[in-house]
Amino acid sequence: MIYTQNLCKRYGKFTAVDHLNLHVRRGTVFGIVGENGAGKTTTLSMLATLTSPTSGRAYINGFEVSKNPQDVRRCIGYMPDSFGVYDDITAEEYLQFYADCYRVPKALAAQRAKEYLSWVGLEDKRETYVNALSRGMQQRLEIARCLIHDPPVLILDEPASGLDPRSRIEMRGVLNRLRTLGKTIVISSHILQELCEVSDEIGIMREGQLAAVAAVSVMLNHSTAYRTLHIVADAKPVVWEKAVRPLEHVVDLRFKPDGVEVVFAGTLQQQAELLQYLLDHGVTVYQFRERPTDIEELFLRLTEGTVDQS
Amino acid sequence: MIHNPLLLKEFRQRMRTVRAPIVVTGYFVGMALITFFLLYENVQGQLSLFLPARSEQVFVTLSLLQTIVAAFLTPAFAAGSISGERERRTLAVLLTTPLPPGGILLGKVLSSSALLTLLLVVTLPLYSLVFLFGGAVPQEVIAVFAFQLFTVVLIAAISVMWSTISLRSGWSTVLSYATVTWMVFVTGALGYGLHMIAQRFPMEYFVSEWGDVLLNLNPLWILACIEDPGLGRPLGWLWFVGVYVGFCLLLTIPSVWRLRPQAFRFVPGALRAEEKDYQ
Repeated sequence: MIYTQNLCKRYGKFTAVDHLNLHVRRGTVFGIVGENGAGKTTTLSMLATLTSPTSGRAYINGFEVSKNPQDVRRCIGYMPDSFGVYDDITAEEYLQFYADCYRVPKALAAQRAKEYLSWVGLEDKRETYVNALSRGMQQRLEIARCLIHDPPVLILDEPASGLDPRSRIEMRGVLNRLRTLGKTIVISSHILQELCEVSDEIGIMREGQLAAVAAVSVMLNHSTAYRTLHIVADAKPVVWEKAVRPLEHVVDLRFKPDGVEVVFAGTLQQQAELLQYLLDHGVTVYQFRERPTDIEELFLRLTEGTVDQS
Repeated sequence: MIHNPLLLKEFRQRMRTVRAPIVVTGYFVGMALITFFLLYENVQGQLSLFLPARSEQVFVTLSLLQTIVAAFLTPAFAAGSISGERERRTLAVLLTTPLPPGGILLGKVLSSSALLTLLLVVTLPLYSLVFLFGGAVPQEVIAVFAFQLFTVVLIAAISVMWSTISLRSGWSTVLSYATVTWMVFVTGALGYGLHMIAQRFPMEYFVSEWGDVLLNLNPLWILACIEDPGLGRPLGWLWFVGVYVGFCLLLTIPSVWRLRPQAFRFVPGALRAEEKDYQ
C-alpha cells in the first residue's frame, strides 16, 4: 500500500531523509517514532506530495508520489503536525468545503460530515465556528476532515501533539477507533508508548533513516516475558557480577545510583527464588520491586542490530 | 471556474464578517456625499439652467475618483490571500487536496475582487443621478463600469500573484501597492511629463511616443479616453490590457511553481532546497 525505495530528501548540505525504505501493508497502522529532527515530518510531507524527494521513489496505492501526485492526493487524508483553521465557518461547513475540494457529491458530503463529526465526538459542535473550538476539538475535527473523502490511506503527523492530558486521552480514543475502519494509516509521534497503543507496527527513525521496525504484538509479548526488578541491597557490584549475573533467568544487570536493575526472564516463583537466593547469600535486601517495563528500552533491546526492512 | 469550492468558501467567510457591510455602507455614503456635493456645485443652487458639459465633468470626476479608490482598496483584500493562508497554516492542507493551482489562484482572485465589484455596483445608482442633468449616455456608463471592473480584477490578480510568490503578507502588500502606485501615479506623472516636454519640443518624436506608451498604461488615462475618445490614441486600452494581462501571466509561472513545484520537476533546479519553508 505504501512503499518507499531509497527515499532521500536533502536541504542543501543537510540530509533530512536518508535512503529510507519503508513498507506499510494494506490495512495496517504503522507508527513512526523518532526524536525531533529525525526526519518523520519530512518523510510524511513527501508522502503527502507537499515536498518532492531529492532522490528515490515513494508509492501510495500503486501511484508514484512524484509522477502521479494528483492520484496520490485523491487517495490520502493528511493531517500536518501544525495546522490552522479558517475563521468564520462552522465545523460542518469546514468539512463540506474539503469534501467539495475532492468533488464528493453534496448529499454524500453532508451525510459524511454529520457521521464523522459524531464519530470524533463533535456532533453538538456542528454549528460552532471552527476557530471557536478548543485545540483538542480542532485536532479531532482534522481527523474527521481527513476522512471526509473516504481515502484508503491516512497520514497523520503527530496528531496528539500540543494537547493537554485529557485531550490526549480523547484523541487516543479516536485513533483507536480509526483502526476499526480498516484503512492504512501512517502515524508519527515522538512518544513510543502512545504509538504502541494505536499501531500494529512501529518503525524508529534516527538521522533520516529507519533504524528498526518491530510488530507491536511481538514487543508486547516480550514485555510480559521480561520483568525489570529494582533491588536496593547491601551488596557490592562484584557480588552482583559473580553471584547474580550468571543465574539462568537473569538477562541483564544495570547499576543505578539508587540500586540495581535486574532484567529478569522468569516466572513469579523464580522471582521469589531470586530474592531467597540473595538472602541466603547474606545480602541485606532493603527493597525488591518490579518496575514497569520501559517500552522504549524494550524496543531498542528487541531491535538491536536489526536493519531497515525493505 | 464553475466548480470552485474555494470561491464559495471565501464568499461565505468574507460576507459573514462585520467588516463587509461596514465597508460597503461607508463607501456608498462617502461616494453619495461627494456626488451630491459635485452636483450641487454644478447647479449652483438653481434648477432652471442645466449645463450638460459641467454635468459630464461630474461624471468624469466621479469615475476617476472611484477608480483610484477601488485601485487602492483592492490590494487590501487580495494581497494577503495566499500568504495569509500560509501564515495561518492552512495552506499545507489545501495543497494536499486535488484542487489545481489555477483553481486556487482563480478562486482567490475572484473572491478578493468580489467585494470591490459589489462596491462598484452599489454606486451605479449615483451615476444614474448624473443622467438627470445630461452630459453622459448609458453606453458611456457601461464602458466605464466594465473598465473599472477589469481594473479591479487585474489588480486583484496581480496582488494574489505577489501574495503567492512572497513568503509574507507584509512583502506581498508592499509589492501590490508598489504595482498600483506604478499604474496610477508613476505612469501618469512620467507620461504627462513627457507630453509636456513634447509640446515644448515638437521635434522630439520619441519623447511623445514614450509619453503615449506610459499614459496608455495608466487606468485613469484610459478611463478619461473612454469618456473623451478624442483625448488619446484610438484603441489605447488594448495596449493597457495586453501589457498588464501579459504581466499577470508572467507572474502566474512563479506562482504555480510556488504552489506545486512538482509541476516543474523537469526544469533543473525547480525543486529547490528551500521549498520546505513555503508551506
